[in-house]
Amino acid sequence: MTTPLTYPARPVLLVIEDGTEYAEFAQLFLGDAFDIRAARSARDALALLADPGADALLVDLRFDRAPREDLVGDVDDTASRLFGGDRARALRHLQDQQGALVLGALRAAGHTQRAVFVHDFPPRRLANLRALYGEVHAVPSFDASALRAALAGARRPAR
Amino acid sequence: MSPTRTESPREAWARAEALWRERDVRAYAAWRAVDPASPEGREAERRLDAADAIYRSVIARLRAGEPDASAPLAALPGALALAPIDPRLYLPLARALRDHQPSDPVRAARYYLRFLASGPDEDEARAAVREVRALPLDTSPETAASVAATVRAFDATERRDTAREATARAAGPTVTALPAPALLASGVAVGLALAALGGLLVARRPRGTSLERASDEAPELHPAITYLVGGLRHELLKHRIGAASDALAALVRGRATAPQRAFLEGRLFGGEPLLAAWEGHLRAFERALGPRVDLRRRDRAFREAARAIAEIARLEPLLARDPSAAIPRLAQAHARLRAFDDRLAALAARLVRTRVDEALVREVVDAVQSEYSASLVALDELRIDVTEPDLEVEVFRVDLVLILKNLVRNAILAVGREPAPRRLAIGVSVDLEATGEELVRIHVRDSSPETLTADAIRERRADRGLGLVSAALARYDGALSVEPAGDGYAKAVTLRFFRALERPDAPHAAEAT
Repeated sequence: MTTPLTYPARPVLLVIEDGTEYAEFAQLFLGDAFDIRAARSARDALALLADPGADALLVDLRFDRAPREDLVGDVDDTASRLFGGDRARALRHLQDQQGALVLGALRAAGHTQRAVFVHDFPPRRLANLRALYGEVHAVPSFDASALRAALAGARRPAR
Repeated sequence: MSPTRTESPREAWARAEALWRERDVRAYAAWRAVDPASPEGREAERRLDAADAIYRSVIARLRAGEPDASAPLAALPGALALAPIDPRLYLPLARALRDHQPSDPVRAARYYLRFLASGPDEDEARAAVREVRALPLDTSPETAASVAATVRAFDATERRDTAREATARAAGPTVTALPAPALLASGVAVGLALAALGGLLVARRPRGTSLERASDEAPELHPAITYLVGGLRHELLKHRIGAASDALAALVRGRATAPQRAFLEGRLFGGEPLLAAWEGHLRAFERALGPRVDLRRRDRAFREAARAIAEIARLEPLLARDPSAAIPRLAQAHARLRAFDDRLAALAARLVRTRVDEALVREVVDAVQSEYSASLVALDELRIDVTEPDLEVEVFRVDLVLILKNLVRNAILAVGREPAPRRLAIGVSVDLEATGEELVRIHVRDSSPETLTADAIRERRADRGLGLVSAALARYDGALSVEPAGDGYAKAVTLRFFRALERPDAPHAAEAT
């Protein structure tokens, strides 16, 4: 595969996950419509967003295979703030909710692309995520047509 | 009997099954009466014989003196789910229990009473009355009362009969021509008396209610109900009924492949019979919840589900013989069970949730203040500040009350050890997290400068009650911390939970067809 030297013709979908399942699924079922790029952490994602950029984000929520140093969020701070000092529970919480925290880090760096989660959030949680992070969508399961619909028309904002 | 003469075998079978569903003692005779030359009659006979073999083997095993009577008895529900019991078997069953399970006379008594209620012939009835009267039932006043009432009713009819015979005898020589109708009349009288008694006995028994009603009335049952509902949903409704949905939908569309059909049959008819599995779950509910819940009679949703399960079990032979007749009925019963599953899901979700509002905090404070040592503390100020609307956490109410009572009790006793002013404030705050979750914090602030740290609470140094609290909290992904508090308070003990947000609806009923 050659790296395109110019801005690719197809919109770029940046997949952010701790494994490869999302990217494989996206390649198989969305590869015709999107140029799929994959990041394994917020840091990778920020680098790819700088170049080549992305038109939309597909974000995994749970990162339980990621190395701890790659996680967004501080275990000690989370432990004392939320878990009465219990670091093991704090780490699990950071892993379980990592996708939302990664999105928070990307938004903080000024990236406002549409983000899509594959997760059956309760409506109120989705509303909260939208209040925090703007354009956020969610599809309840890996369903190519639902994902296509959620991604339809997504374009990178002018910067 | 005249109705069976004009009835088609199909009608007779429907009537027989209805009696069985109502657990009517006449069910057995009605099943036997279905024309054995018809398919329905053959089906009835096959099932009666299969069930009969089980009943007889239970009696034989009891007579053989198996040390644990519950082992043979465990086979009964399976048989009852298959076909009605021959009422004549109640007597040998009662006797086997009496002779070989002397530690459980109550169970023996129950079968004697059923035997008597089935309208047995006079001599056997007399023997049964004599035997049940001799059972030592002092441990169960309820059963003893039922027996006494039955015996009284029996004695009364006997006396009446004797009197009638005496009158008849006095009337003259025609008497000898009368024994048959007289016997019949006495049989009817016993039957009526027992039927009336049945009503009395039911009234005397503590009345069970539906599951939903019981959970409204008894929050202490919530953990058990949630557990039982979870088991029923997972093992039966999900893995057997729910798993068959796609295959059934294909069948309904007439496009099921052979493997899909085999899959469907495996789920619905393979392994443990559905009826037996259902009965097993019902019994688990009964064991755990006791007589306050009566799923068999008082819970409409459970009764309908039981009917749907029975319908599916019944359709097995028809599906092989005449699929086009069986499939729509199968789909209908299946959809009913999916709707039942949705209902249970909603119930379970509701039970594990507790509304955090002023009423909850008041209940806790009132309970603590009615305890002796806390009642001695004169509070100068008690503030309760819970204003967030529709605030729920995923904690069983009993557990949240337990946790809060410990915190409030601790605070009241702590300020009680200090000079006035003794101040206490309970408040709630809600914060949005970066994950989109919402944190619910319940603060219990008090004016006692006595030191208390979260570590002390966790290590149980402070108070055994608080040690209990942290154990309960860990189950709910909750946490507890102690912070200094301003505003004239010395410290705040804070409980943290995640707010329960509504779940997306996923109605099964729609997707089944």
